[in-house]
Amino acid sequence: MSKGDPVLRVEGITKRYGEKDVLNGASLSIRHGELKILIGPSGGGKSTLLQCINFLVRPDEGRIWLNGEEVLASRKRELYAYRQKVGMIFQDFNLFDHLNALSNVQIALVKVKKMPKEEARRRAVMELDRVGLKAHMEKYPAQLSGGQKQRVSIARALAMDPEVMLLDEPTSALDPELITEVLAVIRDLGLDGMTMLMATHQIGFALDLAHEMIFMEDGQIVETGPPRKILNQADCERTREFCGKLTDLYGESR
Amino acid sequence: MGDFLFLQQDVLHSLIGGLWVSIQLIIPSSILGLTIGVIVGALRVYGHPLVIRATNVYVTIFRGFPLVVQLFIWYFGLPHIGIYLTPYAASVLGFTLCSSAYHSEYVRGAFRSVKRGQMLAAEALGFSRFKLICSVMLPQAFRRALPGCGNELIYLIKYSSLAYMITCIELTGEGKIIASETFRFTEVFMVVGLIYLLLTTVSSWGIRKLEIQLTIPGFEHHSM
Amino acid sequence: MEESLIAIFDALPYMLQGSLVTVGVVLGAMGLGMLVGVVLALGQVYGPGFLRRPIGIYIWFFRGVPLLVLLFLFYFGLFSMMGINLSAFAVAAIVLGLISGAYQSQIVRGAILSLPEGQFKAARALGMSDRRAIVTIILPQALRLSVPGWSNEYSIVLKDSAVAYALGVPEVMARAHFVATRTYEHLPLYFTAGLIFLVLTYLGTKGLRLLEEKVRIPGYVR
Repeated sequence: MSKGDPVLRVEGITKRYGEKDVLNGASLSIRHGELKILIGPSGGGKSTLLQCINFLVRPDEGRIWLNGEEVLASRKRELYAYRQKVGMIFQDFNLFDHLNALSNVQIALVKVKKMPKEEARRRAVMELDRVGLKAHMEKYPAQLSGGQKQRVSIARALAMDPEVMLLDEPTSALDPELITEVLAVIRDLGLDGMTMLMATHQIGFALDLAHEMIFMEDGQIVETGPPRKILNQADCERTREFCGKLTDLYGESR
Repeated sequence: MGDFLFLQQDVLHSLIGGLWVSIQLIIPSSILGLTIGVIVGALRVYGHPLVIRATNVYVTIFRGFPLVVQLFIWYFGLPHIGIYLTPYAASVLGFTLCSSAYHSEYVRGAFRSVKRGQMLAAEALGFSRFKLICSVMLPQAFRRALPGCGNELIYLIKYSSLAYMITCIELTGEGKIIASETFRFTEVFMVVGLIYLLLTTVSSWGIRKLEIQLTIPGFEHHSM
Repeated sequence: MEESLIAIFDALPYMLQGSLVTVGVVLGAMGLGMLVGVVLALGQVYGPGFLRRPIGIYIWFFRGVPLLVLLFLFYFGLFSMMGINLSAFAVAAIVLGLISGAYQSQIVRGAILSLPEGQFKAARALGMSDRRAIVTIILPQALRLSVPGWSNEYSIVLKDSAVAYALGVPEVMARAHFVATRTYEHLPLYFTAGLIFLVLTYLGTKGLRLLEEKVRIPGYVR
C-alpha cells in the first residue's frame, strides 16, 4: 500500500427515501493527507453522503474501501471496527451531555477500544491539550461555549486514532466569533497530515487549505477540481451559478 | 389506663412483625420491578418491531388491570394450571410485574427524550448497539426517569398493603387482626397509617436527595 | 375450556352490573376529588399564609397513607366513632375522593401557576374583585389545562376502586370473586374482570379526550 493510494474510496453511493433520490451515484476518493471540501446547496446530499460513509445511514447502493480493503457493513463487528477508524464531527457537536469533557473523550477509549482507564485518561488529557482545552476538562457540555464543545468533539474523535475524518459542517452552528478557534484546530490537523473530508460553507478556509473541492447538488457530484477553479472558473453552469452567489455573499475570493 | 399500655406492648409487637413482612415485600418487588421496567422500557424503544409490539401488550395489561385483579390471578388463578404460590410469592410476583409496567413507561419516555445526536455520536465512535444503550443512553435516561420511577416506588410502598387481600399478613393485615380483636379501629389504623406515612416520607426524601446528587450542570435544559 | 367460557358467559351480566357500581364509586370519587382539589389549589395559590400548613398536611397525609388503610380507618373507625352510619359504597367513594382531591389539587395548582401573571393583572385593572377574577378568568383556563391530568387520575381511581371490594362493595372484582368461589373458574373470571376494567379505562379516557376537544379554545397555545 503506497502513499499514493487512496485512504478512502467511495463509489456509486445511492440513497432513496421513498420516491426521492437523496443521493444518486456519488463517488469520490481521498489520498493520505488530503483535505477535500464538499460544497453545495442545503439538501444537496452532503450530510447524507458523509453519514453513508460511516454507515450511520445505510446506502441503498454503493461500495466503500478503506485503505484498499472493501468495507462490508453486514457484519456488526466489522462495522464497529470500521467506525473506530473513521472519525466523525457533527454540526450539532453531539457531546455526551451526562459526561464532562474529559470523560467524553475517554469513554470510547475505555468502552470500545477496551483501553485501561489510566491509559485512556492520559490519552484523553493529551488530546484535550492538543485542541487547547486541557484547562476545561472537568467541565460539562452545558458549561462550554459552542466553539469549545466542537473542539472537545474533535478531541474525542482524534483519541480513536482515525485513518480519516469526516466533518459535517463543523462550524455552521457556531456564533461567528467562535468559528476561528475551531477552524484553527482543523487547520492544524491538516498540517499534521490528517486525511479529511469536510462539508462546509467556509470558502476562505477551503481556498487556503483544501486540495480539492467537490460541488454537490440534488444528490449528485456535479464537479470536482482545485478550489480556485471551482469557485471562479467552473466548467459546469450549475457550479458557476452556486459559486457566484457564494462569492457575492462572502466577498471576492483572493 | 394500664390496660391501654399493656395493649400497646402487645400491639406494637405484632405491628412490628407486620412491618417486617411489609419490608420483605417491598424491597424485592421494588428492585425486581425497576430492573424489569428498565429492560422492558429499553426494549420498547430500541427493540425489534415485534418485540416492541409484544412489550406494549405486556405493559397495557399490567397497567390496565387493577393490582387487586392481578394479585387474585396469581394467587387464586394459577392453581388452575397447577401452580400453587404462597401468599408472599404471589404478592411479590404481582407487585413486581405491575410496577415494572409503570417503570417501563417512565423509562421509555426518558430514553425517547434523550437527543438523537447522542446515539449518532456513539455509533460514529464505533459503539455497538447494546454498549451504546448501556453507556450513553441509559445514564441520561435514568436521570430523566428518576422522578417518575421514584414516584412509582412510593406507590409500591403504599400498595404493598394489598397483600392482605390475598392473605399475606403484613402491616395492614396485622392491624386488621388487632383492631378486630380489640375494636380499637381508629387508634390502630391511625398508628398503621402513620407508620406507612413515615416509610413514604423517608423514601421521598431519599429519592429527592438522589435526584439532587445526580444532577449534572445544565442537564435539564435541552440546549445545544 | 368450554366450562370456562360458559362460566364467563353466565357471569357476565352479573359482573357488568358490578361495573355500574364501579362507575358510581368512580364518578362520586372524581366529583368529590375535583371539588376538594380546586378548593385546596385555590387555597394554596391565593389563600392566606396560615392555610398553607394545614393544606400541606392534608395533601401529605392523603398521598402517604395507603388506600386500604384509609378505607379501614374511615369505615370501621372514624365514621362509627362519629356515629355516622354510611354504606360501604359511600365510604369508598368518599375516601377515594379525599385521596384523589389531594392529587388533583396539585394538577389544578400546576395549571393555575402556569397561567401568565398578566391574566390576573388585567382582570384587576378592569376593576374585578379577586373572587370575580378567579372565577371568571383563572379557573376557566386552569380547568381546561387540567383535563389531561384528569384523564390520568380517572384511570388511577378506576383501578383503585377495585380495593373497595375489601369493604364488601359489590363492584366488578367482588362479583368476580363471588362467582369464582362457586364455579372454581378463578383464572378466566378474574381475567375477564381485568378486561372489563380495561374497557372502562378506554371509554373513560376517550370521553375525556372528547371533553378536551369540546372545551378547547381556538388557537390556545400553552
